[in-house]
Amino acid sequence: MIQAFSTWLHSTRLSWAVAGGVPWIWPLCETLHFMGLALLVGIVGVFDLRILGMAKGLPVGPIQRLMPWAILGFAINLVTGSLFFAGDPFQYIHNIAFAFKLLFIALAGVNVIVFYVTGLYRHVDGIGPGHDAPLAAKIVAAASLFLWVGVMYWGRMLPFIGNSF
Amino acid sequence: MPFLASLENSGFGTWVRESSSLWAYPTILFMHTVGLGFLVGLNVAIDLRILGFADKLPLAPFEKFYRIMWAAFWINTLSGTALLIADATTKLTNRVFYIKMGCILFAVISMVLIRRRVFGDAAVDRDRAPLAAPARALAVTSLVLWAGAITAGRLMAYFGPVSGAPGLQNRLP
Repeated sequence: MIQAFSTWLHSTRLSWAVAGGVPWIWPLCETLHFMGLALLVGIVGVFDLRILGMAKGLPVGPIQRLMPWAILGFAINLVTGSLFFAGDPFQYIHNIAFAFKLLFIALAGVNVIVFYVTGLYRHVDGIGPGHDAPLAAKIVAAASLFLWVGVMYWGRMLPFIGNSF
Repeated sequence: MPFLASLENSGFGTWVRESSSLWAYPTILFMHTVGLGFLVGLNVAIDLRILGFADKLPLAPFEKFYRIMWAAFWINTLSGTALLIADATTKLTNRVFYIKMGCILFAVISMVLIRRRVFGDAAVDRDRAPLAAPARALAVTSLVLWAGAITAGRLMAYFGPVSGAPGLQNRLP
């Protein structure tokens, strides 16, 4: 099924355009992908590092107000990443680093869901300046940092461990 | 230029560029990416707060992140130097590389100025009032310069002489 989908995708005009038919699309998407990365890592980093005890003067709740920027970064990378995939699906579908990258993104998503459904979110929201976050929240924050750095690792390894590009 | 060629063909340069070990080119490039994420990302977070987003947050505690930003800066200076040695003849003759360095130089200057002028101001969090125009101007400058550094860094692979990992092809004609 993935094979059939990739064959169809590869035959589209979008795929042709991204893969070099319109030569500036690929470098533009790469540039945006790095900007999205910085936005996501920076904002999520502030939140995770605060939970872990750095910059404790920050109350935790209002950091959430910066989250739309992290979501914007993720959205930029979802769109540009999907365009890379559309441009040349076959170099990704058999690539082990790509599989791990998707797995780590999924785990980072599960990590966020755990944070909300266990009620940790509400607990952490009221932590004021100078106060410690509970251990469970620190574990979630550390996992988040590990997973996003991991996503960067597998993304970078696409051409080296896998065979992309 | 014989000096650039000798850099590139040095034992270290050759190892970075041609070793099949994941610890050579791939890991150095990964370090450069992580450094980018934290250096630029934390700068952007501070810039956004200065511009008035999430203004329920006190600004002063953000200064603690400078430690990580400087660590990321040095990771990228070291990893960038290694990548530069490996491709000295192409990267050091590429005009886009100097645009990237210019952007980074001025972005780091604005990062230092933000620490001195904005964080150094004792009244920084008084009344949670919006920050003065010079602080906002520094934040905008910082955002523009980091965006410029990322753009120039990426476009180095597309303009001028082809460099990069072995087998990496220039996609633009």
